[in-house]
Amino acid sequence: MLAVTFISPALLLLLGMSVFPLLWALYLSFTDYSATRGGPARFIGFANYTAILTSAQVHQRALTTLIYVVGAVTLQTVLGFGIAYLISRRAHGRGVLTTLFLVPMMLSPVVVGLFWRFMLDAQFGVINSMLGSLGLGQVEWLTRQRTALISLIVVDTWQWTPFIMLIALAGLTAVPKYLYEAASIDRASEWFRFRTITLPLVWPLLLIAVLFRSIEAFRLFDLVYILTNGGPGVSTETLSFHVYKVAFLGFNTGTASAYGILMVLVVIVLTQLYLRYLNKLKEG
Amino acid sequence: MRHQQRIRRMSVPSRRVQLATAAMLLMATTVAACGDGEEGGGAASAPKAPATIPELTTDPLTLSFIWFEWPPAQALEAFANAEYKKERPNTTVKVNTVPNANWHDAMFTQFAARKTDFDIAILDSQHIGEAVTNGNILDITDFVKSNIDVNAYNPYLLAAYGQFPQAETGKRDENASLYGLPLLGDTWTMIYRKDLIGDKPPQTWDEMISVAERCQADNPGVSGLAFHQANGSDAAAVTYNTVNGVYGGNLWDSKTRKIDGVLNDAAGQEAMDVLVNKMKPLTARGSGNWFIDEVNAAVAQGKACIAFNWIAASGGLLDPEQSTLGTTREQILDKLGFATLPSQKTNLVPLGGMGMHVSAYSPEANQAEALNFMKWFQRADVQKKWAAAGGVPSRTDALESPEFLNAGPFNQVYTDSVPRMRDMWNVPEYARLVDIENTNVNAALNGAKTPTDALNDIAKEQQSVLDSSSRKGGGGL
Repeated sequence: MLAVTFISPALLLLLGMSVFPLLWALYLSFTDYSATRGGPARFIGFANYTAILTSAQVHQRALTTLIYVVGAVTLQTVLGFGIAYLISRRAHGRGVLTTLFLVPMMLSPVVVGLFWRFMLDAQFGVINSMLGSLGLGQVEWLTRQRTALISLIVVDTWQWTPFIMLIALAGLTAVPKYLYEAASIDRASEWFRFRTITLPLVWPLLLIAVLFRSIEAFRLFDLVYILTNGGPGVSTETLSFHVYKVAFLGFNTGTASAYGILMVLVVIVLTQLYLRYLNKLKEG
Repeated sequence: MRHQQRIRRMSVPSRRVQLATAAMLLMATTVAACGDGEEGGGAASAPKAPATIPELTTDPLTLSFIWFEWPPAQALEAFANAEYKKERPNTTVKVNTVPNANWHDAMFTQFAARKTDFDIAILDSQHIGEAVTNGNILDITDFVKSNIDVNAYNPYLLAAYGQFPQAETGKRDENASLYGLPLLGDTWTMIYRKDLIGDKPPQTWDEMISVAERCQADNPGVSGLAFHQANGSDAAAVTYNTVNGVYGGNLWDSKTRKIDGVLNDAAGQEAMDVLVNKMKPLTARGSGNWFIDEVNAAVAQGKACIAFNWIAASGGLLDPEQSTLGTTREQILDKLGFATLPSQKTNLVPLGGMGMHVSAYSPEANQAEALNFMKWFQRADVQKKWAAAGGVPSRTDALESPEFLNAGPFNQVYTDSVPRMRDMWNVPEYARLVDIENTNVNAALNGAKTPTDALNDIAKEQQSVLDSSSRKGGGGL
């Protein structure tokens, strides 16, 4: 009974703030309810789900999100692992370097978005100013279809590469030293050691970092809101940004709930597949 | 062993208890939430405000407004606390502000919760339909009849900031209900560099473009034009709507609720062509996400020959601390001129500004105070004081008063523009309609779509929003 008493506040909080909203959203997703219009929530079966899954607008946002997730997470993984590998080889100043590299991750995405917005401004931004001083042309970073998405990927990479770096560094530090010593005695090359010792041992941990980052990137909202507002046009609108518009511009709560539930399902299914692969890797 | 068994025996019921407790809590929460939903429903029309102001409280009271962050918001708070406090010493006025992009969401998410932390919502004219349909603001028709001299206004201003259904342009419907009263009038002004293009502003839109073209060619580093192009708020949409109006286009046929075929008719296509192919090339590189602040910055830094901006946001241009055009207000005014928009096929100008609306969820004492404030604010002497304090009044006598006309070089522009105003659609679907227009015009301005495709997409998508009331599921897509 004492145990129940102790865990009940946390349980209540979990039920009230997490489980109930999820179930409530699930219920609303089968209705045409609107938060502002009020009135009874009419049951409409799977109509919201069908409309979302067949909507060309949603397909476009899904493609944008996919390009963004693949681009950002790949870049962050390569850079994060590279930086971690270099730091792990240093005997001195490793702590200071790691702390410095972690700073971007600790900043609020809104702050990051705002100062990158200034830096990337085509007229007054420091990036174009630097390009100009190198004799290169001016780039419209945030107002052209191609460069806007690349800018988002670059800013997200700047902020979240340290996360991958941190996990990779933990993995690299955990590799037993005697393996390297044995390889040195056998005169194994640097590349051979990396390929056969470092990478296989760090890989599972790195994949977990990639999983976390992919889920986060899939839900991207804040940077889009601040940097491009989904533009030019809707070319950088991600799924999360689109859900926001559906939910708050027309207050179509039923549709937005279904949209959110579908996004959760996508994440759950992909995570399950990913974890199975990870388990296989472990068993192998 | 006996001890272990005892623990096991005890643990089974406690797990059941835990599960049962959890299920009960979940059910209780769900039932409570369902109850709320049903309670909130049903009320689909605005509740009525009394014709006469109820007795006001003598207790200390804070009258809260909600607006977006810009200079008039601070001006209103300072003005109201200085002047209204003289009449109602127990009342403090607080103008809460949010970023412009969050303005609609900040008000309507609170309306959705049926509980607001503001007493007076400062709604954009086009938000009225959504708020009225959802029953979020008070119907003040009877209150206006008993307390406000409606003949003191240009009828269209009363219609624009308070009436629903609203006439898109033209006369006020005397029989329509009123849900708000004007707070701040506004329209676009043309800001031009007298030192670069001369004292006389261009009179037609075509002339304006050719003057800007010449100015840009003659002054390297200075762009011919600066205007709103961003895809947030109503930035790019207002720009297109302005050009559309000037070139004789229409946004829709309000009687038949038809957009497709009206917006994208020949006049609409010509307007989009002018905007994208003639005006856009005269703007600064990368200006595709510019809104109020960016346009003002370009003017203040001497980077634009001709610019368009809202009058209420133009005051900062005369501040020497924010400008490179001069070290005194007079020096800046030697270089900057303000004029009404050039005409072309018509002389329409965009209606800006906002009205005051009483939240239906505000406590009764605050609603009474809000009505009293609105009555006070519409008095002739107060409107003139508001004009002198930097506000844009709506009463005709205040608009023509020296207090207003001498308060800023752009105020004459507003007075001259009042008979030329046209608003957007004032319908509950406004937020979605303006988003469709914003994103598509922004796409055309930034090369993501051709002008023709963008305009046709706007017409098609907006029409589908208006027609979607009978659709089952997927509302909002």
